[in-house]
Order: sequence, then structure tokens, then C-alpha cells
Amino acid sequence: MATLNINGQSMDIGELDPSTPLLWVLRDELGLVGTKYGCGIAQCGACTVHLDGAPVRSCQIPVGTLENQQITTIEGLATADGTLNPVQQAWIEHDVPQCGYCQAGQIMSATALLSKNSNPSDAEIDASMSGNICRCATYIRIKAAIKTAAQTASGTAFYDATSQPETA
Amino acid sequence: MKPFSVQDDKKVTDLNRRQFFKVSGVAGGGLVLGLGMSASKHANAQLIAEGPSELSPYVQIQSNGRINIFSKNPECGQGIKTGLPLIIAEELDVRWEDVDVIQADIDPTKYGMQLAGGSMSTPMNWTAMRQAGATARLMILAAAAQQLYVPIAELRTSESKVINTTTGDEYNYSEFAELAATMPIPTVEELSLKDPSDFTLLGKRYSGVDNHELVTGKPLFGIDQNRPDMAYATYTKSPALGGTAISFNEVHIKSLNGVIDAFIIAPVGDLIGQGMNGAAIFGGVAIVANSTWAAMKAKQELEVEWDNSAADTNASWSKLVANAESIADQDGPMELLNNGDVDAAFANADQIIESFYEFPYQSHVNLEPQNCTALYENGRIELWAPSQTPTFAEPGVAAIAGISPENVVLNQTRIGGGFGRRLNNDFAFEVTAIARLMEGTPVKLQWTREDDMAFDFYRPGGFHSYKAALNAEGIMVAFSDHFITVAQDENSQRPIEAANLSLDILPMEHLENVRVTQTLQPAAIQTGYMRAPGSNAYAFTFQSFLHEVAEAAGKDYRDFLLDMLDREDLPAPPMPEGMPPGLPAPVAFSNERARNVIASVTDRAEWGRAMPEGRALGLAFYYSHSGYVAQVADVSVNSQKEMTVHKVWSVADFGFIHNLNGAENQVQGSVLDGLSQLMYAKISFEGAVIEQSNFHQYPLLRMSNAPAVDTHFLEPIDVFPSGSGEPALPPALPAIANAIYSASGERVRKTPLSELGYTLV
Ligand code: FES
Ligand code: FES
Repeated sequence: MATLNINGQSMDIGELDPSTPLLWVLRDELGLVGTKYGCGIAQCGACTVHLDGAPVRSCQIPVGTLENQQITTIEGLATADGTLNPVQQAWIEHDVPQCGYCQAGQIMSATALLSKNSNPSDAEIDASMSGNICRCATYIRIKAAIKTAAQTASGTAFYDATSQPETA
Repeated sequence: MKPFSVQDDKKVTDLNRRQFFKVSGVAGGGLVLGLGMSASKHANAQLIAEGPSELSPYVQIQSNGRINIFSKNPECGQGIKTGLPLIIAEELDVRWEDVDVIQADIDPTKYGMQLAGGSMSTPMNWTAMRQAGATARLMILAAAAQQLYVPIAELRTSESKVINTTTGDEYNYSEFAELAATMPIPTVEELSLKDPSDFTLLGKRYSGVDNHELVTGKPLFGIDQNRPDMAYATYTKSPALGGTAISFNEVHIKSLNGVIDAFIIAPVGDLIGQGMNGAAIFGGVAIVANSTWAAMKAKQELEVEWDNSAADTNASWSKLVANAESIADQDGPMELLNNGDVDAAFANADQIIESFYEFPYQSHVNLEPQNCTALYENGRIELWAPSQTPTFAEPGVAAIAGISPENVVLNQTRIGGGFGRRLNNDFAFEVTAIARLMEGTPVKLQWTREDDMAFDFYRPGGFHSYKAALNAEGIMVAFSDHFITVAQDENSQRPIEAANLSLDILPMEHLENVRVTQTLQPAAIQTGYMRAPGSNAYAFTFQSFLHEVAEAAGKDYRDFLLDMLDREDLPAPPMPEGMPPGLPAPVAFSNERARNVIASVTDRAEWGRAMPEGRALGLAFYYSHSGYVAQVADVSVNSQKEMTVHKVWSVADFGFIHNLNGAENQVQGSVLDGLSQLMYAKISFEGAVIEQSNFHQYPLLRMSNAPAVDTHFLEPIDVFPSGSGEPALPPALPAIANAIYSASGERVRKTPLSELGYTLV
């Protein structure tokens, strides 16, 4: 196994140990450091990425299991011309981050939620975001930003690299 | 507020330096002007310094009109990278949209003290940052006058422009920047700072300057650092704090895939005793590998023979609790305060209320586990350190590397959570020791979450045994506290780091008869400062106990507090010894400001209104870091101890608020952090081994249990701002605990509440 499909691009990962968690391949091998390490045991959500559009904890996914799957990371959310997706925009508008360390994972969970459910209830937001810890406790703004993003995004598709046409 | 883009450091170095005009210097704040920058240890500073004019530490104006403002202090989530440049921009009289904020190098010769701690960044730098902006503005005006042949009095500035008041002509600052850089630097006396009523930027809402980079996953943090041909390290220490490594399965570890080297590192200094000032590390085993994962995997296979003779293997939280309980009804052997005649007041009391409170050790659990990157080469070391006190790290790094401090270069990175943990630089010292043995190879040391939880500088646990006397009118007339805290060993005569009690906590200064005594219990577990240190524990115990006293007196808690605070202020305390220069003089506790926040928050929460069965409001007030905060919590609790915190109202007086977004975010986070601590946070230890390892054993609040927070700031009496990152946390715990009592009749006297059977639903 030598390539991964990340953010719509094929990326060569050479002869890596297939048991290496995707998290460390992204961070150390591919320079995609937006995905963060927080706990290594699926407790914090800092490492959340999308696998075929669904949020997963990349610290738990051996890279050897990922052939033929579309991986999206925080670096893949904005369009090629740099336009932010509605979640990212809402995060800036609400000034959500404090230290900011958890926020890539939060945004990945929120984007996955909104791409499946464009108008989530409070309880649905809580349920989808319960795997993401924010040590700075910015939860109030995260929730407000998700609601703003749901409004601005209504009717427009969420950009996600997995919905992009296959790159040649 | 429209987001704006932020330029990163690299672009600055990439710019043709002839595009730069360097203006301004700054007076005050320990800054040195006109310093020959050839002496700078930083490559990009040197590059800029080769330009035609004098370098300014804070302000650069580019020929295209963009304005670079340098932010001196570490950013750990407190918003300082937005806050300090805003203050400069205000007095520089520019549009915020024209500003690019750049993180300054660590260089005390230019910036003075560079740290994030004690809610001091804003108050310490408020005047200096205003002067920095005003200085640059005055130099631009002087240059404009010369260039336009117009008296300076006929020129004014507005929104990044110089305006000729006679002709109405407008000019961009950049047109005068080159000449401005050659103007004499005005003295402080020549500067006229704006009247706060003329502020055009300060006091509004701003989105953090790094937000765009954060939401797109750009490398900002310590953990994101990447150097060419970098190696990755783990460092494994004895689970018994203070133990050292004798030997390990070296041959096996070195045979593992990806492992480059593995070696024992001897301990340096007294990590437990030296606190945040020491260059100290525990001994252990370093594994250096070609990826983080290879180093972590090898760490799992490590078998080490430890020498734990230096560890305090008697250190046990359960023993501390048992012993504290056994001496609760006595006074302690050390008398800290004895005012009036406490014994007589108790002898004549109509009613005596006694209670024993317990608070545990806690961990900071920054979401970014400790890490640091270093390159040692040719007798020089460079570090990329997510440190709250980079200035303090330098001598320790030099000592451990065995080189002089001139050969240490520190770069600051964004910090994935400070909370006081990164006031200690142990991670920087560890990577120094490792990099020293890997000469020529950049090394990133990565702690696991388990390392992070097992080797914190913990918030110390402790106990208060309180006693209050009420007279026949139900007035509180005497108070005593037996404070039981921790010392490093049985010979120590003072509490271990951050385990002391300040003697100005309500009601100590508000009653005639007060006695405070202290008992020290030994436990060699390293401790340190955590967000609102001291206050984060004592607010819960003091404000819960005062609520008990009010209840015993049959008084509403708001009225009880307002009565107690209805008195003349004491004189301001003296400046404490050994404080850094530039601090504003201490001010007296203002009873009026305290009363105002209590009155305001109880109004906003409609204090006194009827509540349904099993649901109540709780109130608390606390003063810390010069901030006055009162909070009301609306809490339901049922017979199964399932509780919901519906809402918390917070009213704060922090003086002038210069970025409302930032202050509000800090208060919201503080309240939720307080709830998290109240419910879950506890570190325990047996035989000097920490018993919690990861978030499953040290839970944090999650979104589903986060209450709404109504955040309000009072109009400042005084324009001087205090910090907003800490003082809103302490009152959250007792406000919620007092509501639990009023809702259920059960008084909680220890945290975390999860151990008393409470859950959040
Ligand atoms: S690092 Fe993967 S869930 Fe915490
Ligand atoms: S913003 Fe700091 S952990 Fe979420």
C-alpha cells in the first residue's frame, strides 16, 4: 500500500508500517499538521478527520486499512481558491477559538454533521459534538457557530474534498 | 466584524526589505531603543535590521500602506496576540483592517519581559503599548510636517491617514514612513495619549488574529514545528515522581523499527522544590526515532529498572485526607492571622457554625500535550517552545546545554492551552538534554497524554476547617480557619509551590475577630500555578461556607454579602517584593465595586424569584487578579443527584474592556471550566504515583452539559484594565454548589461532585 487519497489528491506514503495511525501519517509524513494529537485513545476528538464523509478519530485508524477511501482533513475544507466553508466562516465570525488547539477537530465534526443534517436541533448538535473536548470550553460559541453555519449553508452543498470530482 | 487576513512571519522575511520602513520606538516597559540589531540572535530580525533605518520593535509601515504590529507575549488562548496590538493600533490611529499582526521574537532587550501568566499581560503592558503606538504616530506627524512644509499643529491623524486640517488633503502614513524612521524618538512627556472617549478601536469586538489560520489547519503550535531532517523523541520517567533510571532494555529498543537512538538522562536539579524558577528535570529514558509513532511504539516496549529512592513513596492523597480529617477540630500549629479576640467572640456567640472542606489536586490538561523542538549545533541551541515564560527558560536551557545564554535562541509558538502549566519549562529542559546528545539533528520531543497527566505541576489539594460565630442578631462576629496544606517534606516550614493561602479573602478583612492557622502535611508531588491559582480552590470553600453562615443566620445570601461589604475600603496594600517592573501599583479592594457586581448579577438573574421544586439559584462573589466577579447559577437536582446547570449569569468589573469578544470568551470559558472542575477534576496519588492517566479517568465537561452563560461587564469605574482570563472561574464553583444546596438541601463540601454521586444530565 503506497498511496492515500487525501483531500482529493493521491498522496504517496512509501513503505510505512501499516499499523501506523492515520494521525501520525498525516502529521509526520505528509505535513498536514492541522489534525491534532490530544489523547491517542479516542477520547478527545482533536484528531477528527472524514473518512468517506463520516467523522472518525484518526488516532485509531491504522493507515493500512485506508485503501480506496476518501480522507478529508481540515486542510481540505476550503475550496482551491481559498474560500472557506460555511463552518469555517462561522467560526471566525463567532470568534470561537481560544487556544484553538481543538478547533480543527471541532470543525471536522461540525462539517460532517451539517453535510448530513442541514438543520440540526440542539440535541443533535450535542450528540454529534460529544466526542470533541474543548479544554478552553468554547462550547457555547461552537454551538452558536454551528447554527450560523446551518443558516448560511442552507441550500448550498458543503464543500468537502470527497464530493470533488476525482483528480486525474 | 469582518475577518481579515494575517500575514505570517515567513512573508515578512521574504519581502524585499527595501519595501520596509521602520518607524517608532517605544518608551517605558523596559524597552531599549536604537539597539544595534546586528546583535540579534534572530535571523529575520537581522534581515530587517540591514535596512536603511532604525528598527522598531513594535511597528513597521510598508510602502503599500500595510502596517505590521508585533505582539510580544506568548499566545495561549487568552487572546493577547489580538489584544496588545489593538492597543498599539489605537494610539497609532490606524484602521484595524490595515494591520498585520506578527508574533515577536523572544528578545528581552527589545520587548522586556515576555510571558503569559497571572492575568498581568494587559495591565503590565497597557501603558507601554499605548506609548508605543503614540510614539510612532508622533514620528509620522513630525515627518509629515517636514515633508509637507506644514506646521505640525495643522496636521492630524485619522484611520491610517495624515490630514492637513487647512486644506483637507489626506495622505497615507506610508508616504511619510521613510522619513519618520529618521525622526528623533519623542520622550514620554512629549506624547499625548488619547482620551478614552476618543478611542475608535478599543472597546469593540474583534475576532482573533490567528482565527483564519486556525480554521484552515495551518502550523501554528509547538507540536506543529517541523525542521529539515528532524527526529522525534519520547521521554519516559519513573511513575514514582522523582525516581531515576538505572538501566533499560537498550538492545531491544534500539533494534525496533525506526528507532535512531535511546539513552538514559540523569536528573538535573530539584524539580519538585525549585518550582517554576528552576532548571530541573527528572531522570529518564529518551528514545529518538524517525517518526512520532515509532518513538511512541518503542516507548510502549520500554522496560526500565528505576531507582525510586529519591521519590517520596509515602506520598498518598488518601493518607493526607485521613490525617486532615483527624486534626480538623484543632487549630493548626502555625498562626497566620490573629485579629481581635476570637476566643471571646466564640465564647459569647449565639450560634457557632463549623464545616470542613476538601479540595483535590488537579491537572491542567492542556489539550496540546507538552512538547518542544530543539537543534543543538556548534555550541549553540535553538528552541521552538510552546512556553508561557520563554524569557525564564533561557538560563535553564543554557545551564543544561552547558553553554552561555548568548548561545540560546528561543522562538515562541502558539500554545495549545496554558492555564499556568507552561509557566514551567520542564519540556524545554528535557529536549535540551536530548538535543545535546543528538548534535546536529533537530529533535521534537513529544509527551504522550499519559506523560502529560502523570508529570504535571499540579494544582495542590488541601482542606479548610472553618468556624463562624453569630451573635444574637444573626450578625457574623468571628471567623476562624484551620488551613491544612502541603509542604515538600516534613522539615519544610512553608507550603509547597502554589499551596499557600492569601490572607485577604472575604471575610478575613471584613471582620474584627479572625484567626487563621495552618498545618503543613508532607508530599513531594510537584505543584504549580493553575488558572486563578489559590482562588480556584478557595472560592469554592470560602463562598460555600459563607453561604452556610448566611443560612444559619436566616439571611438571604445577597443581603448577607451586601451587608458585609457595606464598609469603608482599607488602604491599598504595598507593592509585593520582587515584582517585575512596569506593574501598576496595587489598588485597594473596593467594596463599592464588589457590591455593584453582586447587585447587578442578582438583578439580571431575577434573584429571589419563585423556582420550581428541585431547582434553585445560587450566588457567589469572588475577587481575584484585580477583577470583581459575581455569578448566579440556575441548577436543578433530583433525588438521584442528577443535576443540570441551566444557566449562569456572570457580572464582572475588570476595568476597561478593550476587546469585548475576547473578554466574553474568557468569561464563558471560565464558567464552564469551573463547572468541569467542580464535577470531575481530581488527581490522586499513592506511593508518589499519579493514579489518572488519560481523559477517561480525568473527564472534562462536554458540550451537552454546558450551560448558557449570560456575560456582562460593568461600566468601569477606573479605565485601567485588569486581565479577564482568570477571575471569572473561581465564583462559578460556589455559585453552582450554593444552588445545589438551595435546590436539594444537601451541602457539598468537597470536590469533585462525581465522587459524591452527582452526575450532569
Ligand atoms: S487524539 Fe484521537 S481522539 Fe484524542
Ligand atoms: S480552544 Fe483550546 S482546546 Fe478548544
